[in-house]
Amino acid sequence: MDKDLLQLHRLLDGGLSPEDEKDILQKIEADPRLQREFDGLVSVINLLEAGERLPVDAAFSSEVMKRLPARNEPLGKKIRGFLFGERVLRWNVASFVAVSAVLLVITVSGLFYQSSGKSYRVADSVVPGSAVKTVSLSFNAPEAKAVSLAGDFNKWSVEAGAMKRKSDGTWTIEVPLKPGVYHYMFVVDGEGWVSDPRAESYRDDGFGNKNAILRIDSI
Amino acid sequence: MTIQEEEYSIIEECRRGASEVYAVLVERYQEMIYNVAYRMIGDSEAARDIAQESFIAAYTALKDFRYGSKFSTWLCSIVMNRCRDYLRSQKQMVPLDGISELVAKGPNPEVILSDKQTARDLHSALKAMPEDYRQVIVLKHFEDLDYREMEAILGVSANALKVKTYRAREWLKKYIEKGHGQDG
Repeated sequence: MDKDLLQLHRLLDGGLSPEDEKDILQKIEADPRLQREFDGLVSVINLLEAGERLPVDAAFSSEVMKRLPARNEPLGKKIRGFLFGERVLRWNVASFVAVSAVLLVITVSGLFYQSSGKSYRVADSVVPGSAVKTVSLSFNAPEAKAVSLAGDFNKWSVEAGAMKRKSDGTWTIEVPLKPGVYHYMFVVDGEGWVSDPRAESYRDDGFGNKNAILRIDSI
Repeated sequence: MTIQEEEYSIIEECRRGASEVYAVLVERYQEMIYNVAYRMIGDSEAARDIAQESFIAAYTALKDFRYGSKFSTWLCSIVMNRCRDYLRSQKQMVPLDGISELVAKGPNPEVILSDKQTARDLHSALKAMPEDYRQVIVLKHFEDLDYREMEAILGVSANALKVKTYRAREWLKKYIEKGHGQDG
């Protein structure tokens, strides 16, 4: 690359002293070959810098957050990860017995955590004419120290939807939501992501768990 | 509090286990990292995966983050490494024979570049461009980084990167000059 061409690039990068800049601009004016080089490079840079950025879809961030590895996982969470994490199983009789035992434990745990009935109710807005509904959700977890509601309506924040404990061990929260379909989970003690056992429907979250589906009708 | 101080504070919280605050950094840089990956590998789906994996890898390696450097620069070096790994795993070979031939012939003085070159032309030019040229073009002209920041990301001296950027621009100019009008 000859000296003049190097100076052209430095000029385009804004890295020349005023004297050098004046010098190369004069050369460009006087030399058609240099003028063509300069025009070509300006076109290339314009083309590059006119390129628009692709937008990122709304689920990008929440998917990253759900895939973050846990730090210093407690034993309970490790067990849960072992039970619910996706893996290839090679079956034999011993595996069958072990899995049956695990399923039994999960069933009993589910009964312990939650009684039957719908986990949420929808009330009309307190603001007449507003489309927003107040949705009350509840989750029974008497031994939990904290429970929160995380969903796509609060960007899956573990802290934003802190639930209140009632004397019977039921945790409740009211959230204002517009009509629509929402995905959510309960977060027990800040770490354990639990599907709502009383949701009307579920959808795989792509990470081995199921999001509960909450549908708020407009009427 | 500056953005850098805020980011250091977030990193410190993440190191203590408050992972939820990491969402601030993900949302701040997701578009930049996704677009760097897309420009590098030219496949939007794979770029999305690589960008997400880069954020997760950065979170996992936060203990290695050195205060004094910019989080975005550090993150960019992670996504660049992942793009390199991806391209090698795909054995995505550039059609160098044809391009080298074009470049070797030198510029065509009859063809003046037009600002109306389409995004498709640019996309195909980037795909055809040698990987080390593409890296500097993406960082310098798409992400508008200075040579010092590029040095921190690529681990190559700023002076060497300047020369590489000049050569990459020359390569791109010649490629577009030769391809202009041929694709319709």
